[in-house]
Amino acid sequence: MSEQVLAPPQLVNVQINGVWHQFPKGTRVIEACEQAGSYVPRYCYHKKLSSPGNCRMCLIEMGLPKMGPDRKPELGEDGKPVINWMPRPQISCAQDVSEGMGVRTDSPLAQECRKGVMEFLLINHPLDCPICDQAGECRLQEFSVEYGNAESRFLENKVKKPKNIDLGPRVTLDDERCILCSRCIRFCQEIVHDDVLGFIDRGSHSVLTAHPGKRLENNYSLNTVDICPVGALTSSDFRFQMRVWFLKETKSFCTSCATGCNTIIGTREDMIYRQTPRENNAVNSSWMCDYGRLNFGYLQSDKRLLQPEILSGDKRIAAEWNVAITQAAVQLKHFAGWEIAILASGRMTNEELWLTSQLAKVLGIDLIDIVPRTGPTDDILFSADRNPNTNGARVLGVTSVPGTRLRDIADGIVAGRVKALIALGENPIDIGLTIAQLKMLPALVVMNILTDDATQAATVLLPSFGFAEKRGSMINGKGRLQRLNRAVRGPGQARDDWEILRDFIQACSDRNGIYSIEDVFRQMSESIPQFAGLSLSKIGDLGVQVLNMEAIP
Amino acid sequence: MDLTNTLISTGLARKMDDAIRRYPADRKRSAAMPLLHSWQEEFGFIGDEGVRWIAEKLDLQPINILELVTFYPMFRQAPASKKHIRVCRTLSCAMAGSYEVMEKACAAAGIVRHRDENGMHNPISVSTDGKYSIEFVECLASCGTAPVCMVQDELIENVEPGAVSALLTNHQSLISHHQPPPHPLEHRLIFKNIGRADWTPDIDCYLRNGGYEQLRNAVKMSRTEIVNEVKTSGLRGRGGAGFPCGVKWSFIKPDEKKPVYLICNADESEPGTFKDRYIIHEDPHQLIEGILISCFALNAKTGYIYIRGEFPEGAQILERAIEEARENNFLGQNMLGTGFDVEIYIHRGAGAYICGEETGLIESLEGKRAYPRIKPPYFPAVLGLYMCPTIVNNVETLCHVKHIVDMGGANYARLGRPNNTGTRIVCVSGDVQRPGYFEIEVGAVTLGQLIYDMAGGPRYGRNVKAVIPGGSSAKVLRADERFKLKLKQPDGTMAEQDVSLFEIPMDFDSLAAAGSMAGSGGVIVLDDTRDMVWTLNNINEFYAHESCGQCTPCREGSLWMKKITDRMLLGGGVVQDPDTLKTVADNIAGRTICAFGEACAWPTQSFVEKFKNEFNQRSQKPAPPAMPPEYMPGELIDHDKIRTAPLPRNPGWEETATAGTI
Repeated sequence: MSEQVLAPPQLVNVQINGVWHQFPKGTRVIEACEQAGSYVPRYCYHKKLSSPGNCRMCLIEMGLPKMGPDRKPELGEDGKPVINWMPRPQISCAQDVSEGMGVRTDSPLAQECRKGVMEFLLINHPLDCPICDQAGECRLQEFSVEYGNAESRFLENKVKKPKNIDLGPRVTLDDERCILCSRCIRFCQEIVHDDVLGFIDRGSHSVLTAHPGKRLENNYSLNTVDICPVGALTSSDFRFQMRVWFLKETKSFCTSCATGCNTIIGTREDMIYRQTPRENNAVNSSWMCDYGRLNFGYLQSDKRLLQPEILSGDKRIAAEWNVAITQAAVQLKHFAGWEIAILASGRMTNEELWLTSQLAKVLGIDLIDIVPRTGPTDDILFSADRNPNTNGARVLGVTSVPGTRLRDIADGIVAGRVKALIALGENPIDIGLTIAQLKMLPALVVMNILTDDATQAATVLLPSFGFAEKRGSMINGKGRLQRLNRAVRGPGQARDDWEILRDFIQACSDRNGIYSIEDVFRQMSESIPQFAGLSLSKIGDLGVQVLNMEAIP
Repeated sequence: MDLTNTLISTGLARKMDDAIRRYPADRKRSAAMPLLHSWQEEFGFIGDEGVRWIAEKLDLQPINILELVTFYPMFRQAPASKKHIRVCRTLSCAMAGSYEVMEKACAAAGIVRHRDENGMHNPISVSTDGKYSIEFVECLASCGTAPVCMVQDELIENVEPGAVSALLTNHQSLISHHQPPPHPLEHRLIFKNIGRADWTPDIDCYLRNGGYEQLRNAVKMSRTEIVNEVKTSGLRGRGGAGFPCGVKWSFIKPDEKKPVYLICNADESEPGTFKDRYIIHEDPHQLIEGILISCFALNAKTGYIYIRGEFPEGAQILERAIEEARENNFLGQNMLGTGFDVEIYIHRGAGAYICGEETGLIESLEGKRAYPRIKPPYFPAVLGLYMCPTIVNNVETLCHVKHIVDMGGANYARLGRPNNTGTRIVCVSGDVQRPGYFEIEVGAVTLGQLIYDMAGGPRYGRNVKAVIPGGSSAKVLRADERFKLKLKQPDGTMAEQDVSLFEIPMDFDSLAAAGSMAGSGGVIVLDDTRDMVWTLNNINEFYAHESCGQCTPCREGSLWMKKITDRMLLGGGVVQDPDTLKTVADNIAGRTICAFGEACAWPTQSFVEKFKNEFNQRSQKPAPPAMPPEYMPGELIDHDKIRTAPLPRNPGWEETATAGTI
């Protein structure tokens, strides 16, 4: 993507805790403090949302330069402006830095303010951390350790509020834990444009709620759980499943559509417990859709293929991997390249697609395509292209216009021209073939992760890995190359797709020389200009822009 | 929704459409409160059907309307009765016996009141026969005639606790507004016509007495000239903060491209204040004229009068006055042939004190919960109503504008004292013999003259113990305190002088120097029979009830302070309570979005500091009374439906592991 040439940002001088710093104009004071190493605690402020200034946790001391009679700032002995400190504390979340501004984030007044606000937030908050899902990643817990009192001065009964409310199909609310920061309300209004949450009642009795006639059921509802600084909003799916401090966190991205929202996969002992969005302003800001977020259950379903199988006579039997791969190669060797078709997938990684194209080359196969998946876009994050790596398939030459050759494949099989089919991560039924037609095929090599009709008809079945079980790269709908990391081990005897494909190629050609996925990427980068100079590690956590989508018709 | 469309009478539909037209076409949401009022007038309450219907009518979500219904106490979600009684429970009325009124009224009507300790609003209780319903409400702005209550939409003043049963049957006879003629120490400017036997609120009477002459004069002046006259006059806002009006006006750029709005803040609700009520009821055209001059000066083509919901009659009077003014072309298209189009609309509140705060008011006028806005950036003069430049002025302030045009700014500034110019209306209530309103030149009368000469002093055999000089949020002053004030000496010089409470001149600067404030001009007098813990508790209850709940310190702190004084009154005060009260208040003041923080903290800070002994006496227990645990562990598991069964997921690792294939 062509980088726009921007004028250098105008910098302003700001004194933070006695030290002068420079920040671009337009920087929020609270962000400036954080950049200067003085994190200011906050609840209501979220940099992607508007600032209501309601929690009062980020109160600091602020001052502006003292102006002389000539309307110019007076300079002190150090040649820096003398600061006129305001008598009242100011919130740091709603103002931008300005020239000569002074900030004290840790003065006695600022500390006293924080302590006061902490106490107020806690007096009516239940002491149920032991059963609260937020425990371990709760701002209220964290800041109360830093700024709170060990003992409560509150001798009264706490305000009782509704508990365990289903705000929608995926979000559960505990109003007693809510600190009324309004992040969730603003998220729904400003990001999703679905004005569904609000406060009812007043004063200390205010509660968050949704009107019974319109529930929190938009496809982004679980982001409210992420941004809730306390345990008021919890994910009904994750609720009570696992203490967060046991979770291993793996940076990855979502493969449920072409957007490729960056994620953190939370796992423990090879079990995925949750996916949460990870900030990437070039891709998904700080959000992801509920569909993508929850779309990992299939990886741990009992439909997973766990064992390679081959057809022996009219019976499918379990086989060792080398037997299964050899069997596949043997079956295919009976046919000329034009008698074989490959049904590849837009869900495969670049590495897998590259090896697929190598396999096609080795076997002389020309008939190859991916199965397009499309649906309506929501103009937020959910892309109309539901395949995560259509761009990769294009770049690697597996398809030019996805889906245009599917007809040829299906017709070829029906007409008997095509006698062997390699289905990689796709179900041939989806391109209009029947189970009977598939069963007629002399060779049907299927690599997939879940059992379906086609896997039943396979002559060779190769169980492979899901997105969270493997490494690899994909190019999202906007042309950004991103990296998958392994969060869990694959189940049973299933193997990483690229390894299966490599062994397959070897079995068909006796070629060797690939030992790691890095090697695959190197090969790719040597032949594909878009990947030149890159490696898996160079992609980094936030990805690399490799395609200029505006230039593609 | 066809279900309800059949229920909406054509009259109601027309009323609602009229209301919607009062706001810019792309700001339909502003009509939410008028529509809710209309719905409640028609059906008696606003159920879920009403919420959904109004939301749909205004292209909103039901939650947007539900938020309002539950925020504003005047909106009911359940039916009351044919005869609904609202008893004021705020300080002056409570001192005059409103709790007794409530008790007797309940007994007479056969109502059993359940006090919901954990509830937010004062609950509505309905009699067993369903004929009567009753609730406590916060200040009805008639402290001078305390105790008061409202029966349906009618205000009943000076309710005799002994004669409350009359409330239930025939209440008309109870109205008794007899204000004595102006006291010699008064200087009547704004209240010149209030209480006059030969005065009526219609436009004919107003015109006969020189009405709208100042508007005619003003439109001959340039806008800058008017603004400069107001600046020269030194007029300070009469709503509470005392901000110089001319300075506020000059924030509006003369070449402003966006529409400018003028809002008249008629949400008079600071306990102890009851002046705007009389202007609205008895001299509405004076206010309209003041607004029109101000609109002209600010080039504001639209003015809104935000009138508190508890003034239904006042709203009607103002509506009529606007129509009368329109008939005379004082407003509307091409006002007085000047080519200036101006409209004034009434917008009714619904019982939320916070709407008196200007940015809370603006939010409320936009059809939202009255959550005050943060300043910066939302200074009304820059980003006010609909994010346009907006001036919000109090009723009395706008009336003064008319007199400034009449007298000229310089002449007006000769009234009162430097930096405290003009006249202002002071309201005296509480423990005095003749409570009421007095218009004085600012600073020309001392607190002593006001209380003893004008308001008749304390009742026989009693002494003044303390005075709250500027509405209940002002810090209380003790009768035996001494103050050091800079005062003008007979020779004209200024010198610091040691004065008693009663020697403090009634002006902005002197009361501020005495550590309190002139505020909204509501003077509440407390005599030596008053229990200061009880008094503070009453004030705390008001602020805990009125806190909007937006920002943390005020939301949590106001209720906490009330709970502490509650406990002290019940005999459960512990040794650390006075200190806790003070530090809680300290943690609110200056840390909130709006001035409500100070308003709710100052009473506690000053009462606890100035009446230490009384608070210490009530805080003798070494340990707090035992309280039941909030939840038992089992209850929590129950509440949260915590699953105890193992996870249903089984991805098949175990089998493959035993097969030795991993």
